[in-house]
Amino acid sequence: MSDRAYAVLGLFDTPDALMAAIPKVRDRALGKVEAYTPYPIHGIEKALGLRESPLGGMVMVMGVLGAATAMFFQYWMSAVDYPIVHGGKVPFSWQAFVPIMFEVTVLFATFTAGLGMLLLLNKLPFFGHPVLNAKAITGITRDRFALAIEAPEGTLDIAAAFQALEAAGAVDLEVLPATETSPQFTSRGVMGFLTAVVGACGVAAFLTYWAIKLFHVLPPMADMQKQPRLNAQAASRFFKDGTGMRTPVKGTVSRGHLGLGVATQDEAAGLPNPLPRTEATLLKGKQTYTNHCAVCHGASGNGTPTLTAAYGAKPANLLARQFKDYKDGQIYFVVAKGKNSMPAYGADLDEQQRWAVVHYVRALQRAQDAKDSDLK
Amino acid sequence: MKPETLTLPADLREPAIFEGVVTPGGIDDQVLVYPETKPPLKWFVAITFTILLMLMGFGFIGYTVMKGIGAWGNNNPVFWAFDIINFVFWVGIGHAGTLISAILFIFRKKWRNAIARFAEAMTIFAVMCAGIFPLIHVGRPWLAFWLFPYPNQRALWSNFKSPLLWDVFAVSTYFSVSAMFWFLGLVPDIASMRDREKNKWKKLAYTILSLGWRGAARHWQHYEKAYLLLAGLATGLVLSVHSVVSFDFATSQVPGWHMTIFPPYFVAGAIFAGFSMVVIVMIVVRETMNLQNLVTVRHLEVMNKVILGMSCLMGYAYCMEGFTAWYSQNNYLIHTFKNIIGGYYGWAGWTTITCNILIPQLLWFRKCRTSYFWMILVATAVTIGMWFERFVIIVISLHQDYLPSSWEIYKPTIVDFGILLGSFGLFFTLVLLFARTLPVVATTEVKAILPGAQPHHGAHHE
Repeated sequence: MSDRAYAVLGLFDTPDALMAAIPKVRDRALGKVEAYTPYPIHGIEKALGLRESPLGGMVMVMGVLGAATAMFFQYWMSAVDYPIVHGGKVPFSWQAFVPIMFEVTVLFATFTAGLGMLLLLNKLPFFGHPVLNAKAITGITRDRFALAIEAPEGTLDIAAAFQALEAAGAVDLEVLPATETSPQFTSRGVMGFLTAVVGACGVAAFLTYWAIKLFHVLPPMADMQKQPRLNAQAASRFFKDGTGMRTPVKGTVSRGHLGLGVATQDEAAGLPNPLPRTEATLLKGKQTYTNHCAVCHGASGNGTPTLTAAYGAKPANLLARQFKDYKDGQIYFVVAKGKNSMPAYGADLDEQQRWAVVHYVRALQRAQDAKDSDLK
Repeated sequence: MKPETLTLPADLREPAIFEGVVTPGGIDDQVLVYPETKPPLKWFVAITFTILLMLMGFGFIGYTVMKGIGAWGNNNPVFWAFDIINFVFWVGIGHAGTLISAILFIFRKKWRNAIARFAEAMTIFAVMCAGIFPLIHVGRPWLAFWLFPYPNQRALWSNFKSPLLWDVFAVSTYFSVSAMFWFLGLVPDIASMRDREKNKWKKLAYTILSLGWRGAARHWQHYEKAYLLLAGLATGLVLSVHSVVSFDFATSQVPGWHMTIFPPYFVAGAIFAGFSMVVIVMIVVRETMNLQNLVTVRHLEVMNKVILGMSCLMGYAYCMEGFTAWYSQNNYLIHTFKNIIGGYYGWAGWTTITCNILIPQLLWFRKCRTSYFWMILVATAVTIGMWFERFVIIVISLHQDYLPSSWEIYKPTIVDFGILLGSFGLFFTLVLLFARTLPVVATTEVKAILPGAQPHHGAHHE
């Protein structure tokens, strides 16, 4: 008999014999009494005096936690961090979050039930238990029922345990040494295996990283990037001359941008302003002036710029006598074609907007130099 | 011990669920011997065939990835076709396994024990087949991880109001839970195999997989609790998964999809299709693996009764579709219903009705419920019929919806058929591998319900 004994184990051939033996062996109080059976035996937990499994409570808690987690994350993602209206629903549409909340609840609860049972309550996987090395194990996982008296190393009264089990009717008694290793697993083997797993994870992570990086640039995955299209500042393969667009047919005019019909500012003096001087026209002129002109000529037209001073430009003071004397057509021409360092606005403003600006500039000139008669 | 109060009289108890004398050790010798021995030639022939079928399917999937999903017959407006049909079909097949393992466990139906393991395995394999289809359906499957809400540099989150995202969660949860349930059931059986195995490497593999299970009473106590909890959770899940799949359709506005009957209708259809597949596979397993004494004719008959019941439910659902169309007086819905029974795809509608409603009525006769010929006939018809049902729902509804100017006839291509056949190849390859590597019958569970397996038999300790 080894000093390093952990347990004495005996076998029974029927569950009834096992159940009858349990109270007899427990009465001797020689150590922890544990049964090993090929399948669950009803009522054995009471016979062995086991407490009820706490798994139900654990699963309940984790299930509720799963529900709360799912609802909170859906709320935070959909209503706080990235609030987008889908289908006219408010960002926090909790009804729509119920299906996923249910699934996550089940997921949390399942993993708690399964892994909680295996890892936490049963302390598995564990390959070094003495019973796994016992001769009896082939019977235990087949059709025989074992009862063991277990005690920490050195505290087990082996002779008394033998006698107790024999008196209870057990056969094929054996002493289990307090081994902590499995014939299949040495700690070196396990460490080697774990190292291999970690290494494989590393390799897999590396490959995945590069696969994700490279997937987009490899055909055919890159088809979406490499489809025929125009790129800025690059030659196009669409046309032989390398341009991406065709030159319009000669004489093509864009809508709202008919030619002025005059070549010089002096010729333009003869153009009449076609727009009536109404409030609507002035408002339109004001908007256009504010958007396009005021940045240089100033909100009141006095040439005090809000922006261009920094660049040393000297925009015209539209209130000056020179510009008061301009004909409407001349102002119109400058708006469309530009003058000196002023760029042309013909491409940005259509005919209506240009004439409306002319009206508004006239209004500014008069407002800045109002006569008493204007107030009457 | 509590006094025995409620004991059913002998004639009201469930009859024996096996034939002849079955002993705990005998079950091990009968079932666990298969993974230990070299498979027969017919197994190799079968798996070669299924692997070739599978490889062909993966070839067509590769072609789809290279060319884009234009390789399929999908068009505008039939954006969903074989991809989603096959997805719904396979997810449905899986439902029988969870029903048998979870719902029948809660109802303490003892006949489930002999077939539960195989049905659960079929669930997992069917969900794996199903998972392929949404993946390739997205067109760029290497970006499918975008479906999951993960922090990304684009600062985007998924749309949680979309039923398609619910589906992602439902199916992935379903797979995880089924796999967990299956594995937990396997652990004690693998421990039995571990202690029988002589081959060093196989013993090592079974040792790892059994996690060092040693059958301690303290472990069984937690184990049984976990199993019960998982059964309860899986019960809710199995009802929810196909409901969520049906939301993909029911929450849209396509005529023929926008119906409140869809969730129960889909769940019933899933159980229907799944049981048929289980019947077909169990017959093959029973005959080739000599399990006649464990999987008895009574098992098959009970499953056929379930199929018959579900067939009647499906008949009710089909009638309700017609009734809804008429009662709503909605022209579009009426038009879709007319298309099912008389349009361009009317033959598909009638195939569905014949295979799912008319042929299963044979099962009213005891002879048909117990004869292989009729069973296989009905089960095959149901499998075909349920595939066509999804074809009817998806293609017929889509090909003519609100806008006549965009009506279009859908025609599948050879790639569509190739991938469908390939998914069958994958499924049966996995089934064949499972049959020769792991216990096909839940030996531990069957041992626990044999006569004399529990102390003072007759009384139930619950």
